[in-house]
Amino acid sequence: MSDHTVRAYDDELMEIGRKITEMGGIAETMLANAIQSLVKGDTELAQRVIATDPKLDALEREIEEKAILTIARRQPMAIDLRALVSAIRIASDIERIGDLAKNVGKRVVAIDGQFAPQKIVGGVIHISDLALDRLHRVLDAYAHRNVEAAMAVWNQDEEIDQLYNSLFRELLTYMMEDPRNIGFCAHLLFSAKNIERIGDHATNIAETIKYLVTGETVVTDRPRAADGYEPLQTP
Amino acid sequence: MASYASRRRNSTIVMGLCLAATGIGVVWLFLILFSLLVNGIPGLTLAVFTEMTPPPGEHGGGLLNAIFGSVLMTVLGVGIGAPIGILAGTYLAEYGRHSKLTPVIRFINDILLSAPSIIIGLFVYGAVVVPMRSFSAVAGSIALAVIVIPVVVRTTEDMLLLVPNTLREAASALGLPRSFVIRRVAYRAARAGLITGVLLAVARVGGETAPLLFTVLSNQFWSANLLKPMANLPVTINNFINNPDANWKQLAWTGALLITVAVLSLNITARIFGASKDGR
Amino acid sequence: MLEKISVKDLKFFYGANLALKGINIPLYANKVTAFIGPSGCGKSTLLRVLNRMYDLYPGQHAEGEVNFDGRNILNPGEDLNLLRARIGMVFQKPTPFPMTIYDNIAFGLKLYENLSKSELDGRVEDSLKRAALWSEVKDKLGANGLSLSGGQQQRLCIARTVAIKPEVILFDEPCSALDPISTAKIEELIDELKTEYTIAIVTHNMQQAARVSEYTAFMYLGELVEFDETSKIFTTPSDQRTQDYITGRFG
Repeated sequence: MSDHTVRAYDDELMEIGRKITEMGGIAETMLANAIQSLVKGDTELAQRVIATDPKLDALEREIEEKAILTIARRQPMAIDLRALVSAIRIASDIERIGDLAKNVGKRVVAIDGQFAPQKIVGGVIHISDLALDRLHRVLDAYAHRNVEAAMAVWNQDEEIDQLYNSLFRELLTYMMEDPRNIGFCAHLLFSAKNIERIGDHATNIAETIKYLVTGETVVTDRPRAADGYEPLQTP
Repeated sequence: MASYASRRRNSTIVMGLCLAATGIGVVWLFLILFSLLVNGIPGLTLAVFTEMTPPPGEHGGGLLNAIFGSVLMTVLGVGIGAPIGILAGTYLAEYGRHSKLTPVIRFINDILLSAPSIIIGLFVYGAVVVPMRSFSAVAGSIALAVIVIPVVVRTTEDMLLLVPNTLREAASALGLPRSFVIRRVAYRAARAGLITGVLLAVARVGGETAPLLFTVLSNQFWSANLLKPMANLPVTINNFINNPDANWKQLAWTGALLITVAVLSLNITARIFGASKDGR
Repeated sequence: MLEKISVKDLKFFYGANLALKGINIPLYANKVTAFIGPSGCGKSTLLRVLNRMYDLYPGQHAEGEVNFDGRNILNPGEDLNLLRARIGMVFQKPTPFPMTIYDNIAFGLKLYENLSKSELDGRVEDSLKRAALWSEVKDKLGANGLSLSGGQQQRLCIARTVAIKPEVILFDEPCSALDPISTAKIEELIDELKTEYTIAIVTHNMQQAARVSEYTAFMYLGELVEFDETSKIFTTPSDQRTQDYITGRFG
């Protein structure tokens, strides 16, 4: 696309885009580290994840302020208006993703010292990998304004939901098998829930990308599991 | 900075030259006024306005018949010339704005505007006086009207052209007919200018001598007959000033002062009218 | 939806210069249609065809159809004064006539209708009220229209237009010479007027077009590039040129 007549306008939009990319990078690292810390029981790494979150919050505020200022200053129209609204939405989604990754980190700190059989953690690793993959791809789609890539992420969210449901049942089984597992599994379940929510935010971002590029909002519901099983609403 | 200093110096020099030129122009005006006042005021008595022009060699007498004649013929001349001038000016500015005829008319009008008044006098002499076999006030009025017309045409056209087109469009957009737009909107917007134009025309013809010399001649006596020669100030002044009779000379100076004051005050009135923005 | 005016394949010439290159556009009844586009794109020209204002100038002519309630007003036999009484116009610069506020409005009325003094008074008051000017001028109806502020003058012009009860009102950049508060008042007025009139507005202010209109037409180089609902044009225009223009990426 050609540039604006007012060059400073382009600079402002690009600056906001860069900040989003920066947030995305931080969120990805946080999520990866949170999972790593969970798998390895690495409380130190978990602490680092928790300590990173304020940075993401600050970036979100900064993006929001810049976007509002640009709206006030330039009265953006069409693609520019959508870009700014999208930036605010995506920044908020990424900030939430950061919060969720931080929550996982907090669980790791809470679990500290408890027994963690690899067998049990396995399912969580799997769902985490999926969430990490979605997040990475959706951020990539944003960077390239690629609707198809974004919608691919959007369509795949059910996979994470289904995985979460089966994980839920699996962890429930472990807890019934051996009551000593209950504490640990509960933390694990919460972590899995957090990660599942990260997947939701990734689909939100995908929807925003579609709006950003085409101006259309996604009206249909996301595809659900065939048996109509709703993911359990756990805290 | 050197060039700045030199520019300042140049500016001062040019400014000085301009002031000097203005001064030279104004000095003559004041010299004229001064000599008129010095020579005219001594003769300024009530008798000037109440008594007829005296026969040669007599004392006393005034300019009443001449003043009356001048005022009458000026009023007639402007009365004939101004409506024609306004209508013609309106054509040029309103209806004929895009016509090929307009520049031609405007050019001819400008020639007429600068034509020596003596030629206009000669023309009216040939066109009116000769066929009528008599000098007459009518012929004089026609001559003055011919002088008035180009002045009024010019000012009317200029003033109407100053009326913004948006005003005409706005009136037309209400569905008002063209003639209505001109009469009710354009004239009203240009009113101050139109009145100024007429006043300037009055001032212009008030002092004309040459055309009257060929058309009305003059008259020693009171006459209100439009078909006969009539006394008037410019020709009377012209006749009296060249006469050795001291009484006549004095009356001529006083008459000149009267005309000058009248023309000056008309000009000033016209300026004031022109300056007030909406003519209220 | 009722098309109050429908323009069909309209071409307009300034001399030999083609200024409108075949425009097709409807003006829907009781809707506000905004025309945007860079200077010289033909939007004002189009507006001036709709009430045949161009007829005031020689060398300008239009081809095609402008159907107003189904009748082509480009027909040579059209009574222009009557047409202009039915399609009013408000201009960029306020143009009060050099007469009293009262006369500014009564002036045109008197020509069209035989009204008694009291009826005339009523119509003047009504028009001024409709132009949201009554409360500001009711005590000085005898004052010169030129003594009002710019915003008031523009509302006086709107009152004047409304007084003769047109069916369509054309606004040619009505706020470009006004301060933001006066602009807001005019916009509010347009919003109220559309319940009774069909409105077309040319504006350089895109936010204004977005605010006041239901439909927007983007014109460029004498062509109608895009015509659509305003909400669509300003969020997701279909044509790249529209997008470039409204986002400030032109030239």
